[in-house]
Amino acid sequence: MSEAIEKRIVDEENVARVRDLLQCMERGDEEGAREIVDELANVRETTLYQEVGKLTRELHDAISAFGMDDRIANLAEHDIPDARERLNYVIAKTDEAANRTLTAIEESLPLCEKLESESGDLHARWQQFRRKELNIDDFRELSRSLEAFLAEQHQNAGQVRAHLTDALMAQDFQDLTGQIIKRVITLVEEVEANLVNLIKVAGLPEREQDGPKEHDLDGPVIPGKETASTVSGQDEVDDLLSSLGF
Amino acid sequence: MKILIVDDFSTMRRIIKNLLRDLGFTNTEEADDGTTALPMLQSGKYDLLITDWNMPGMQGIDLLKAVRADDKLATLPVLMVTAEQKREQIIEAAQAGVNGYIVKPFTAQTLKEKMDKIFERVGA
Repeated sequence: MSEAIEKRIVDEENVARVRDLLQCMERGDEEGAREIVDELANVRETTLYQEVGKLTRELHDAISAFGMDDRIANLAEHDIPDARERLNYVIAKTDEAANRTLTAIEESLPLCEKLESESGDLHARWQQFRRKELNIDDFRELSRSLEAFLAEQHQNAGQVRAHLTDALMAQDFQDLTGQIIKRVITLVEEVEANLVNLIKVAGLPEREQDGPKEHDLDGPVIPGKETASTVSGQDEVDDLLSSLGF
Repeated sequence: MKILIVDDFSTMRRIIKNLLRDLGFTNTEEADDGTTALPMLQSGKYDLLITDWNMPGMQGIDLLKAVRADDKLATLPVLMVTAEQKREQIIEAAQAGVNGYIVKPFTAQTLKEKMDKIFERVGA
């Protein structure tokens, strides 16, 4: 039944009641008149209760929508601290991997330098021998040097190989940190969606955003995110500096 | 040739140190921000300062200004190696008297070029 029809029926009933009341009073039926007045008052109270009931339901719905099934509270209490821990783990893992790789390289470099200089030296002496410029003692010395060199390089090559394997294994962080960062991106997207909902429910007017502060450092520029106030790469830095007379 | 490398990340200090070694500069020392670097510069004889910009404590730009304001250090060549690439920041560094500005990530070749340029000017 539509509200308009409902209202018309109530109105017609009230008109009938008022007519009855008039008739009762004309014939001096006081008791009948009081009953009709009580009835009218009763109708009024019932309508009021219905209105209050409707408002209460609307209020309840609005509060439920605002709560968003506790997801926002859960995000703030649990998911965001959790994401912070995960990102700290990413920093620790990448730091560890970078240091492990650097150590492997720093330990390999002197071995390579030794190979470079000693092989250069032996090659020169070998060419002297080929040109028949060495006497027998020099040749014996060269022969001893060659034997020692080969034995040492065999061992060094094994060490370099072990360092390279270690540098290789240090890259296993990428898989883990990649997964962690993907999860954090998903969380950030969820937080964003919830914030947008919250703003809609709260009906906050859009305000002009505060720009970044003058003296904040921007940190690394991400490819594709350059702005008019940043340069992209060393060439532009050089151009800018040379325009300043550098 | 004694060089001081200032960066808050030890990995970046190690990379620069190894690149310098490859270029033939083996006498290097390290500091993790301007606050530790400045007393080192004042007490030791350094020929070049290589510094990051964004560091906790004293930042690279403030270290550069402190160096230029110090009578004994005023002429020390300073090379900035940083991820900051805002025009106004590069200009600020230039005005503060930086001798070279390298943006991260950089190559060994870029470091060599800027070092050569600095010493060319110092020698001239």
